[in-house]
Amino acid sequence: MGVLADVYEMLNTCNKCGGCHTACKTYKLTGSEEMSTRGRIQLIKAVADGKLEPNEEYEDAIMSCLLCGECAVTCPNGVHGNELVMAARRDLKLRKGIKPFAKSFALKTLASPKRLGMGFRLFGGMGKSVLNKIDGLDYFRGIDIKNFPTAKKPFLEQVPEKIKVQNPKHKVGFYVGCFLNHSLDQTAHSVVKVLTKNDCEVIIPKDQVCCGLPQYCYGDYETAKTNARKTIDTFLDKYSDAEVVLTACASCGSMLRHDYLKLFADEPSYLPKVKLFCDKVVEFSEYMAKIGVDQSKLHNSSPLTVTYHDPCHMVRGLKATKQPRELLQMIPRVDYKEMFEANRCCGAAGLIQAFYHEVSTDITDQKTQNIKDTNADLVATSCPACMLRLQGGINKAGQKQKVMHVADVMANAYED
Amino acid sequence: MLSQAVVKRLKEIVGEKNVVTDKVGLLTYGYDGTLLSGEALGVVSPTTTEQVVEIVKLMNEQDIKLVPRGAGTNESGGTIPSEKSVVISFTKMTKIHEIDTENFVAVVEPGVINFDLQVELAKKNFYFPPDPSSFKASTIGGNLGECSGGPKCFKYGVTRDYMLGLEVVLPNGKVIQTGGRNFQSEPGYDLTRIIVGSEGILGLVTKVFVRILPIPRAKKTMLALYDKVEDASQTVADIVAAGIIPTTLELMDNLLINTTEDFTHAGLPRDAGAVLIIEVDGYPEDMDGQVKTIGEIASKIAKEFKVAQTAVEVDQIWTSRRSAFGSVARVRPSYGVNDITVPRSNFPKAIGGVLKVAKDFGVTIGVVAHAGDGNLHPLILFDQRNKEETETVHAAEQALCMMALDLEGTISGEHGIGLVKKKYLDKEFTPAAMEAFRKIKRSFDPSNRFNPGKIIDL
Ligand SMILES: Cc1cc2nc3c(=O)[nH]c(=O)nc-3n(C[C@H](O)[C@H](O)[C@H](O)COP(=O)(O)OP(=O)(O)OC[C@H]3O[C@@H](n4cnc5c(N)ncnc54)[C@H](O)[C@@H]3O)c2cc1C
Ligand code: SF4
Ligand code: SF4
Repeated sequence: MGVLADVYEMLNTCNKCGGCHTACKTYKLTGSEEMSTRGRIQLIKAVADGKLEPNEEYEDAIMSCLLCGECAVTCPNGVHGNELVMAARRDLKLRKGIKPFAKSFALKTLASPKRLGMGFRLFGGMGKSVLNKIDGLDYFRGIDIKNFPTAKKPFLEQVPEKIKVQNPKHKVGFYVGCFLNHSLDQTAHSVVKVLTKNDCEVIIPKDQVCCGLPQYCYGDYETAKTNARKTIDTFLDKYSDAEVVLTACASCGSMLRHDYLKLFADEPSYLPKVKLFCDKVVEFSEYMAKIGVDQSKLHNSSPLTVTYHDPCHMVRGLKATKQPRELLQMIPRVDYKEMFEANRCCGAAGLIQAFYHEVSTDITDQKTQNIKDTNADLVATSCPACMLRLQGGINKAGQKQKVMHVADVMANAYED
Repeated sequence: MLSQAVVKRLKEIVGEKNVVTDKVGLLTYGYDGTLLSGEALGVVSPTTTEQVVEIVKLMNEQDIKLVPRGAGTNESGGTIPSEKSVVISFTKMTKIHEIDTENFVAVVEPGVINFDLQVELAKKNFYFPPDPSSFKASTIGGNLGECSGGPKCFKYGVTRDYMLGLEVVLPNGKVIQTGGRNFQSEPGYDLTRIIVGSEGILGLVTKVFVRILPIPRAKKTMLALYDKVEDASQTVADIVAAGIIPTTLELMDNLLINTTEDFTHAGLPRDAGAVLIIEVDGYPEDMDGQVKTIGEIASKIAKEFKVAQTAVEVDQIWTSRRSAFGSVARVRPSYGVNDITVPRSNFPKAIGGVLKVAKDFGVTIGVVAHAGDGNLHPLILFDQRNKEETETVHAAEQALCMMALDLEGTISGEHGIGLVKKKYLDKEFTPAAMEAFRKIKRSFDPSNRFNPGKIIDL
């Protein structure tokens, strides 16, 4: 019971007031108590108390959590439901390994760079063509397969390790992340473009690996640590001249900056190095807002209505909400419209979209409707997983909006 | 355990995924806002009135009891499963059938969450006045089950005052409609008012006709800060004596100011002994006069009086107040909520009584009150794992109830009786009155099928 013993006081602090019901989308959309934060917490407590043996239903309750973190900001008692779920997942992993689904493909694939590339291509290429043959099956469990983009070649193989500029003012280390490397390589190019247009030299280590978030989320701390150590050592030892470690994926960003500290809390000898690394991590919009963007260089000829979706890891992880909005509004002729519940989960939530697709599809449908209500032409966001999820939802609803990363929107505003 | 055949029948009625019989599911429907828990044989979530009727008939055949449940936030043990019972959860009956702004009526299913209804109404510039602090989670069915109150009830009344009519499935499986969309009462008994506040022991509500009001054109929110909670209670009595009826008159003591500040950072002074949140609403031109009068009364005793200037400030004040119950586990993990209510003029005496109980029993009590209604929620904080302490808390709770009765008050203002307050009910009512309760229960539910053991034993 070790892991749960560590969080027992927090488990016991939940006084079942139900305040988190409104926060928890998996509850709101199902009306099922075991899919609520309060329900999950009481179940974890029952396991900790030895009153419940973890079984399949328990695993479902624990694995279906979006880890969106909304409950943590809503609870008047300061109980962090998402952290308790993380502890429960770790506990499950220690008891008997991870639930078969997670073990079988997704997590192992992410841990190995080679297999990951193949996985993305398989899913986007071959898998797509097979599934496409099945009439009407455009959406595999709510995921828009037909339009699932795959990079022809990983981004890391498309670019040199160093991209120089004429008068470098900054040196930026670019942590690309799995999605931008294998799927949305165009967005990675946009990031580089915006950085170089703003006098940043960009360093892109070729041997970077998955940040470890997916494994961490499912309780596999060992693999997560291996990846984290590799990432930290790569950037700090081999590329120490990079002033910052920049990522354009909010999820990676939150993992690199916050969760690495938690992950290595039990390794005091390595921890100072981790701290050094974490302090260097910056998300794309945060960084651009910080160094300042020369507005006079931004061009845009036709009026554009834009709205912004806050990824969970951006709003509650990195706590960055102003910067992307400010950057978008710097672009000429942009009419910015805020959507209802902009800061709520889009339903992607890592592997949830594949394994608990019924709820996640409902969550995405709500989001899609909120987007529609703004009459925006374009939805900007800061996380590739959200981008894919949102575009899928929008296409499925027969709507027209285009989803782009803030970096893409900005890159388009620079003349080549 | 439910037999395979019964489970199969239930699944035929409501669909596979709306029946729960596994241990995990049962565990999560076994608790509510109290420290109690129980385990049902199953949980069934209907989506239509017809399904509810079928369930009632099947359970009658099988001699299984039904425990109705909304969001399970009640503070009286009202949804704790009894022996050999099935929980009937209304959280999947969430349709808002109609919002009729011409006739000031909305027709909703019982599982609609109070807040979700408010959001829809606000789009049409209307609202539903009963607003328990749990309104973001609690359902209309639960609100009427407990006859809930809220901050606005001083001026606007409680849930009962906004129920125009109900569709009810009776314990014999027959469906009746009480009242309707008309404001004038119907001929005959006022059955609506018998069902409202009956905590699910008389009938299952499947449709609700609620009265709605246009959002007032203007409102002002004020804060009065005091050194001592007794001082704040005096202002309450003074305002009432002056014949002024604010929309709300809410009190929080130092303990609650601090626990809610930890959460909201609204900027309430942590060293204040108590705060009164006072709100008035109406026509814009009436606001200044009312604020002035209240300010004059409060300033006689308060150490500070101020009017909230921005909407953000108002929001923060309300987030603080609404999270009061929720926030106390920051101090101790368990709490007992009391719900005593006294005539408004006795409010200062009741505050004195609470302080005395805290001292006599050596327990930590935080006070939050719908002060305008004379409704106090002394929250006794403790740790349920400590048996001895728990005993002391029970004794202190009893003393609080007795104190309220001595002041011509009641043991429960808005949280209901359920299991928790049952033992005090015959202290408040005469044997003849208790018998009248039982007779009403028997006439609706002769075989004691709905929510047995709540409020009264037969
Ligand atoms: C943090 C917090 C703050 C609170 N603040 C307030 C407050 O300000 N004022 C207040 O009055 N209360 C308050 N409460 C108590 C509680 O929230 C209310 O009693 C609320 O109305 C219960 O709603 P529910 O949906 O959770 O109902 P439940 O707890 O699920 O049920 C309440 C009762 O209604 C019955 N019931 C539910 N649905 C039906 C139906 N369809 N047909 C027949 N019977 C039914 C149940 O059997 C039960 O007896 C608070 C509770 C908490 C935890
Ligand atoms: S997690 Fe917090 S908000 Fe949710 S029921 Fe527990 S105490 Fe209440
Ligand atoms: S993290 Fe999100 S999905 Fe998980 S319990 Fe909290 S609110 Fe619900």
